[in-house]
Amino acid sequence: MGVNEKNIDAILEAYPAKVKRNRKKHILIKDSTQGRQELEANTRTIPGIITNRGCAYAGCKGVVLGPIKDIVHITHGPIGCGYYSWLTRRNKAATPEDGKNYMTYCVSTDMQESDIVFGGEKKLTRMIDDVVEIFKPNAITVSATCPVGLIGDDINAVAKAAQEKHGLPVLSFNCEGYKGVSQSAGHHIANNGVMEHIVGQGDLTEAPAKYSINLLGEYNIGGDGWEIHRFLKDIGYHVISVLTGDGSYETIKNAHVADLNLVQCHRSINYIADMLEKKYGTPWLKVNFIGVQSTIDSLRNMALYFGDEELIRRTEEVIAREVARIEPIMEQYKKICQGKTAFCFVGGSRGHHYQGLFAELGIETVLAGYEFAHRDDYEGREVIPDIKPDADSKNIPDLNVEPDRKFFKLKISPEKAEELKKTIPLGDYKGLIAEMNDGHLITDDLNHYETEELIKLLKPDIFASGIKDKFIPQKMGIPSKQIHSYDYSGPYAGFNGAVKFAEDIAMGFVSPTWNFISPPWKDKPLLEGSIQKEGH
Amino acid sequence: METLNCRSVIENPCTMCMPMGGILPFKGVAQSMVILHGSQGCATYMRRHIAEHFNEPIDVASSSLNEKGTVYGGEKNLKSGLDNLLKLYNPSLIGVLTTCLAETIGEDTDMITAQYLQERGLTDFPIVTVPTPGYGGSDFEGYWLAAKRIISALACKTKKHGKINVIIPNISPADIREIKRILLLMKTDFTLFPDFSDTLDSAFVRPYQKIPNGGTEKDDISAMPGAAATVQLSLTVTDTNSPGIYLEREFGIPLYNLPIPTGIGNTDLFINALKEITGAEIPPVLHQERGRLLDCMIDSHKYNFAGRSVIFGDPELVYAVTKTCIENGIFPVVVATGGKASNLKRLLQPHLVECPIETQILSETDFAQIRVKSMETGANIAIGHSDGRYLTEKEGIPLVRIGFPIHDRVGGQRLLSVGYTGTAIFLDRLTNTLLENKYKNYRRSMYEKHYQEKKAGERHGLQQFL
Repeated sequence: MGVNEKNIDAILEAYPAKVKRNRKKHILIKDSTQGRQELEANTRTIPGIITNRGCAYAGCKGVVLGPIKDIVHITHGPIGCGYYSWLTRRNKAATPEDGKNYMTYCVSTDMQESDIVFGGEKKLTRMIDDVVEIFKPNAITVSATCPVGLIGDDINAVAKAAQEKHGLPVLSFNCEGYKGVSQSAGHHIANNGVMEHIVGQGDLTEAPAKYSINLLGEYNIGGDGWEIHRFLKDIGYHVISVLTGDGSYETIKNAHVADLNLVQCHRSINYIADMLEKKYGTPWLKVNFIGVQSTIDSLRNMALYFGDEELIRRTEEVIAREVARIEPIMEQYKKICQGKTAFCFVGGSRGHHYQGLFAELGIETVLAGYEFAHRDDYEGREVIPDIKPDADSKNIPDLNVEPDRKFFKLKISPEKAEELKKTIPLGDYKGLIAEMNDGHLITDDLNHYETEELIKLLKPDIFASGIKDKFIPQKMGIPSKQIHSYDYSGPYAGFNGAVKFAEDIAMGFVSPTWNFISPPWKDKPLLEGSIQKEGH
Repeated sequence: METLNCRSVIENPCTMCMPMGGILPFKGVAQSMVILHGSQGCATYMRRHIAEHFNEPIDVASSSLNEKGTVYGGEKNLKSGLDNLLKLYNPSLIGVLTTCLAETIGEDTDMITAQYLQERGLTDFPIVTVPTPGYGGSDFEGYWLAAKRIISALACKTKKHGKINVIIPNISPADIREIKRILLLMKTDFTLFPDFSDTLDSAFVRPYQKIPNGGTEKDDISAMPGAAATVQLSLTVTDTNSPGIYLEREFGIPLYNLPIPTGIGNTDLFINALKEITGAEIPPVLHQERGRLLDCMIDSHKYNFAGRSVIFGDPELVYAVTKTCIENGIFPVVVATGGKASNLKRLLQPHLVECPIETQILSETDFAQIRVKSMETGANIAIGHSDGRYLTEKEGIPLVRIGFPIHDRVGGQRLLSVGYTGTAIFLDRLTNTLLENKYKNYRRSMYEKHYQEKKAGERHGLQQFL
């Protein structure tokens, strides 16, 4: 099924002229003959368009900080923001030995009109006192919502004073909803804070075990991280910390001693990955544990990085064992899914990551895109020097880090790193566009109107996105798969996750539900027979 | 953690914010759209939560203000947002709700929208503004203020037409449909508002509708001042936010302010009011439904009497559910609402005197408090929206889901709990939950009662063979 510029123009025609010009820059048709194709991203959302983007608070507290389980996360603001980010992302967390797991709690200062007028600092101070008394957490974070910055509450000063008073880390995040153009700004703010105030606070000076790694940008949605952990451990890796799914202050504080950092979600965590390299000399490797082949490739790249024969052998053993186990099951589902097409519009990495898994089931991704990604997530990191900072991105300051005097240690020599970069994505990400086949669509910040029109145009067999847009295709009779929170299913990562995903997707196609859309009286008569004429 | 008395912590809230509630009445106006003036995160979060409850696409726009807007004002963003909304959706009415951001920086949405309509030559186009900062109240207040503002914006002095206005609180689409059925049975000519029974529970139809069909027609709302009476189903709404009081004061429409018709007493009040207003006879079918409800209540009373309920959520729903529980011997030990609900206690007092047990009434509370009180008072059934699941997870108190939002189960939009028939269905849900819990624990409690105690001394029954 082909799509051409004319089709796209026809859809954009419904917009006012200026909006049309803007949106055209956010949509492209993959054409490998053109070399690197440019796609505008991380620019201001058009008002009044039903975007799926969220805000800086959502990216900071909701995405990056929220899953750190032994910290109590305080939302400083009116009740809504805290309420709406209460466990909605299905980050799973196991309770550690000390019992400190506050994932199921939503804690807010519930600002009222009088707090807006007279300021909310006192309330926040009192609240931190109470939280320390009630929960005794390992740390506290304070995330700001829109009014906080506007009325001039100095949450940084409050946090600092509370930290001194209680002798417990209290971190503040100026992630007011209006900052930046999407939740992406909030990821950056959270990355800076975690890097500055958590990583390196532990007292480990050396990796506690051979093959010590951190897993960055894995949020353990539906238990993804646990499945990844299973085979990493089996191969012989020691996971020091996960940022941030099922992560904890207690583990992240020692992240600086790892031999290697793995980056799963590039968008939300690449700042920390870069800073860990500069400050502690630990390189990062882009991995993708969604899909069988992507998982295998990631594991092989990791083994190549360490270059240890025993590790390589063990990696191959585990791969062979896992593949032998799941291949026959995947084959069954492939028979159902073969030849179908998908839309895959999610977040800032999954729009890319899931394409391989779809392909393994015989499903071609004909449209993919991100809600809040930057150009490097589409075009690859080589484009970063060309991205011009604008007023919005400049509002989120970069944290400048220097090599740490105490902990900096080059984990591999620069020569070896250069050598490895020729074969594995060490410190590199090639982006989504490279993954797509020619003629297919890439869309940034897709909205409801375009979703509807593009479904009509391309008629995909399955629509993979989130809860806000999933009901549009379903109302059109097309199965959907929530790739944000998995429709209460999962895990979808790794080997077992691939099987679970295959099962769920195949179920979407074969569920008898779809057979009843056309009532019998529409197609053929309910009763076969003829009416006899009178007298016969 | 349970010992703290003076709390500044809101731990696990039992309420949402004002614009969330403000969106819903607009979804009950035919072909209308809403735009939130503020950060886009507000619209995204609220759409997500409304969509998960109703399982429907929820299109709510945002003016997507960013840092620049907070400095120079959001006028430009709001105007271009309105342009895009009009062009793409072609709605017949737009609601402009403010958020924390817009209110804190002092945006004058009345002025901006009036100017906008002037500039575009659209002076006849209805834009309804509602000031709904998140810190201004809960979703309950947002709902009623939006409902009132829609009516006050559209209502015109109209010739008397004899219809009755029926004003609906935040109940399920299935409940609204049941109320319409009862109105038709009573041969009533009515304008029901806001009517989101179709828009937020739409049928699978082809082709896909950008704005789902249904909702109260704009013209019908305009004509509400010509009605013979208003029946408003909210005792807990404040006078300032009450659409019914507005219509009474401005246009002299007699107001029958009633509770949600859940429970036999509340349904009697509703039917009786309709009879009084229209003078119509109550049809045999309703008598029969009342009889069936009575039969249901009698069949269940021996099980229900073991129930001790904790009821929480929207104050209006809490009031109706509490009365229903009292009628059936499922005596409430904790009645809680996250918002202010200043008159809830006063309203419930006359009914609570009939209870043989003490009832704790909590307002502006959170689930941490509700949990503590539930344990102290020995509650064994929780009734409310899905956030009460923590009472089940932490304390094993089973939850009967009703109200908004319901996120961990499907079908929140199809829960029927009003009228005689709806009450019977609701009551069965309560009784069966009590029974299920009883069966689940039956063997254990019997063992503990008849065998465990004697363990230390003489051995009896099966145990002597062990």
